[in-house]
Amino acid sequence: MKNVVIAGYCRSPFSPANKGRLIKVRPDDLAAQVVKGLIGKTGVNPNDIEDLILGCAFPEGEQGLNVARLIVPLAGLPISVAGATVNRFCGSSMQAIHMAAGAIQMDAGDVFICAGAESMTRIPMGGFNTLPNPALYEAFPQAYISMGDTAENLAKQYRINRADQEAFAVQSQQKAYAAQQQGRFADEIIPITTKSDRVDVDGCLRPESTSASLAQLPPAFQATGSVTAGTSSPLTDGAAAVLVCSEEYADAHGLAKLARIKSIAVSGCAPEIMGIGPVSATRKALKRAGLELDDIDIVELNEAFAAQSLAVLKELPIPAAKLNLDGGAIALGHPLGASGARITGKAASLLKRENKRYVLATMCIGGGQGIATILEAI
Amino acid sequence: MNIQKAAVIGAGVMGASIAAHISNAGIPVYLLDIVPKDASNRNIIAETAIQKLLKAEPAPFMHKHNARLVTAGNTEDHLQWLADVDWVIEAVIEDPKIKKSLYQKLYDVCRKDCLISSNTSTLPLHLLTRDMPENFRQRFMITHFFNPPRYMRLLELVSGPLTRPELVSAISSFADINLGKNCVTCKDTPGFIANRIGIYWQLCGMLEAIDLGLTVEQADAVISYPFGIPKTGIFGLLDLVGLDLIPHILSGMKQALPPDDAFHQVNRLPELVRKMIADGYTGRKGKGGFYRLNEINGKRVKESINLQTGEYNRSEKPDPDAIKSIKKAGLPAFLSSRGATAVYAWRVLSKTLSYAASLVPEISDDIVAIDSAMHDGYNWKYGPFELLDQIGVAWFTGKLQAENRDVPPLLAEKHPLYKVIADKLNFVDLVGNYHPVPRAEGLLLLSDIKLQGPAILENPSASLWNIGDGVACLEFHSKMNTLDMDSMTLIRQSIDKVSSEFSALVIHNEEDNFSAGANLGLLMQAIDNSDWAAVEQLVIQGQETYKALKFAPFPVVGAPSGLALGGGCEILLHCDAIQAHAELYMGLVEVGVGLIPAWGGCKEYLRRWLILPKRPRGPIPPLVKAFETIGLAKVSKSAAEAKELLFLGDYDAITMNKHRLLADAKAKALSLSENYAAPEPCVYPMPGKTAKILLSMGIKAFHLLGKATDYDVAVSEKLAHVLSGGESDITSPLTEDDLLALEREAFMALVKQPGTRARLEHMLETGKPLRN
Repeated sequence: MKNVVIAGYCRSPFSPANKGRLIKVRPDDLAAQVVKGLIGKTGVNPNDIEDLILGCAFPEGEQGLNVARLIVPLAGLPISVAGATVNRFCGSSMQAIHMAAGAIQMDAGDVFICAGAESMTRIPMGGFNTLPNPALYEAFPQAYISMGDTAENLAKQYRINRADQEAFAVQSQQKAYAAQQQGRFADEIIPITTKSDRVDVDGCLRPESTSASLAQLPPAFQATGSVTAGTSSPLTDGAAAVLVCSEEYADAHGLAKLARIKSIAVSGCAPEIMGIGPVSATRKALKRAGLELDDIDIVELNEAFAAQSLAVLKELPIPAAKLNLDGGAIALGHPLGASGARITGKAASLLKRENKRYVLATMCIGGGQGIATILEAI
Repeated sequence: MNIQKAAVIGAGVMGASIAAHISNAGIPVYLLDIVPKDASNRNIIAETAIQKLLKAEPAPFMHKHNARLVTAGNTEDHLQWLADVDWVIEAVIEDPKIKKSLYQKLYDVCRKDCLISSNTSTLPLHLLTRDMPENFRQRFMITHFFNPPRYMRLLELVSGPLTRPELVSAISSFADINLGKNCVTCKDTPGFIANRIGIYWQLCGMLEAIDLGLTVEQADAVISYPFGIPKTGIFGLLDLVGLDLIPHILSGMKQALPPDDAFHQVNRLPELVRKMIADGYTGRKGKGGFYRLNEINGKRVKESINLQTGEYNRSEKPDPDAIKSIKKAGLPAFLSSRGATAVYAWRVLSKTLSYAASLVPEISDDIVAIDSAMHDGYNWKYGPFELLDQIGVAWFTGKLQAENRDVPPLLAEKHPLYKVIADKLNFVDLVGNYHPVPRAEGLLLLSDIKLQGPAILENPSASLWNIGDGVACLEFHSKMNTLDMDSMTLIRQSIDKVSSEFSALVIHNEEDNFSAGANLGLLMQAIDNSDWAAVEQLVIQGQETYKALKFAPFPVVGAPSGLALGGGCEILLHCDAIQAHAELYMGLVEVGVGLIPAWGGCKEYLRRWLILPKRPRGPIPPLVKAFETIGLAKVSKSAAEAKELLFLGDYDAITMNKHRLLADAKAKALSLSENYAAPEPCVYPMPGKTAKILLSMGIKAFHLLGKATDYDVAVSEKLAHVLSGGESDITSPLTEDDLLALEREAFMALVKQPGTRARLEHMLETGKPLRN
């Protein structure tokens, strides 16, 4: 079977929805600029690309139709490149990577662009026209549970108090701010040109957050709850893309290989505690890779909520020193469909930068799922 | 000349609020102030003023977006901006030297046809223009706004002998039509009209209360409601104005007024007030004034000062029934009675009204201008001369004579001050001749129409009037214009009448509020009797009546001002068009009493979102929007906000001047009446239960967050059921009647709930919604 490698990663700046500097940018245009940037950065021959697979959690409106295919011409790719939009909510663009990996190993193509995009400004979470199934809602209402409530459920179930959540959020903010100050995002960010602006810096960070300042915030979802806006990932506009190809192809064309995909997995769990999804997905992926958790050197765990991340950490004891080295979604933002490509691409580049052997990227998914990818150094 | 761009110099409260109101007219305006010493941001004063405007209550902007039309600058760097404006309003400190040095600069930079006006309230025009070049004097006048400029209708205009008449008329017409002001032409005399009388009145009111040993509550209770004066009375108003201003105002008037003016006889500053100012009790802006809010054991308690001792005690309101009985007994009977409050009222009013009468022709050639100024500058329901007619001129002068007091020449012959002659309101002049009360061109008042003869139809709640040119006007006139069976009956009768004899109908009245909604007292009675059939009849009658109005063979134009709530909002939603006064407080507020709009309000409001071309596609957005607006009982704080809430559509229009509302509505009705066809019924493709679930999830989230009470949830669930189309499926569109049936069903289910009963009871008792 062919080896699958990640041979490039980049993303747009992540910017707060409804108030940031990307609010006026259509998500298809945003993704196209990032894809263009990836082509330029990796030097891959666009004519060799089999498919552009794009993850999006609410594929309607400006990110509707088959937006992946529309991004092909928008990004100036040859018309011979195919395009498919995939939806696994927050896991969408990691799923895109998994699909590319599967296709490569099926010998169904050598080069794939795996991207993700979400404008949470322009397409509201939940979409414009949510139409729940009345029979399902009656029989299984948690199928439609809101994300904030799942975080509260985990906080209760795992007895995670508010102060611990706030301490976690502050750490995320501080790590992200340090990375930003030291220019550690510079090589992954593709500046985005808007009608009146050129955006090249993340906009969600709140480095001034302290445990004391976060303690002042009102609960965001339940009056008696512990989850606040400060301990949740913010609504975000952003796009990300990775180049996935067979190792043979990368070698033959002199592409810079970041990491090899070792194993992948998805899993399901109870929707009302969807945030615990990474646990079972990670266990599956570790098993498939023949590894133990201790073998993993670096972890990118998507921070949907501090309570959710802390619950996962209770099941998967990952040392703080290995976790989200440059901060996570609480600080950087979580443009749903784009986050999977970000953390997988980030994980691959961290492996190289930190000169380590194994890295795990994993995330929780609304509706009760987890997704995980283990990468190894080349 | 058209005013297309304006500037205000001086970003104090008045200057900034005037700029805000000019922006309300859609006109871009520069707001300039000085550069403070060592300021890093040279526009800081004007910029801060705009930020304050955005937070001020009551809001100076009719829509917060209007702030974009106000550009902040400073008088050192940006005077050249004024080269392209049509009107500059000076609102700087009341210092002639500062003003005149500014005028010199304005003279140099402004276009030669730009009108320059001062908002001075104390300085005479002849002083401000002395030694100024002729061209300046030709385009200078005083435009005196009242605070707050958005809400106070009076604009006093003073022009000089050289001021070009076409400029004056351009400004008057702009102020009238675009700013909604009632322009009153004044002579160049101290305090112009409103403050000349208002200051004298407040001073008398304050001194007499002290002399007679009244409490501030007694004084304010009598010098208010019984005479059509705002409830702030004397002392509440002084607190609002600011006690620290009193010495300045009094000394200014003392210097400016002629030596024989009656003002000098009453001019004195009580020791109490002097001490209050010294101690920082300057009114609402200070630690408190005649009234204050004090915190006792963590509770805010309203207190008032003892006018004799200067000590604060818990405020005790006089018996409201005693106050009400004054009007019932008749003003002369009350004013000649012996109680302390009656003696007080007589002393204050006899002095004030005599003073006003003695000022004709000194401050104005006619009484109409004086009455208008007190109406619109002090919110008096009746001007001094209208009040004199109510009291009776003969009785009033008789009592003055009996007390050996001077009778002003205007009152000497004891003529009524106003009289209807040949169906028109006339006013008397100094020699006893009557003249028609002048009305600005294009102005139509229902009160004038009423002088021409009886209503076409009439019952205790509503009337139908002929307003000419084939247009009829339906007027509500119950208390707060609440709607009851009589209102419905008259609407039905009006539909028949207008169908056969008129070409269009306008719905309008001249009260402060268009309609506060359905008469809840009647509903409550039926609930108390468990007379559910009667309740359902109330709903059906309303639905059928409004539906008949909507599909009547003639156009219907709603012309609301003030509150248009609940059923009052629903009738407007059934009109072909709305011509709204800019001050429109419109909303479907039924959930506040545990009900949902059931006179077609859900149906019509939903329709507005369904047919909106630019709305997001799909079945959900319209009903989510409707759910948010109705479920949160959103009420617009202006017509501009009503437009944003889609109570007003693209076809509806806004009139700034309330007195022009009827004329504008009539014109709109006439324009619709050509080839009029009743609207096609709306079809409603509603998603049904799936949408209900979506809304329910939102309600539950709100409840978890503590933003919705238990009973809010119960009411919202019913509303969600109606707005999502009940058990409907998207492939089988509902009719208007289907929606009405859903409204009715939900209403009848809620009205039987104890939670709704509790809300209704609480609203009737306190006027406020209960959060149960």
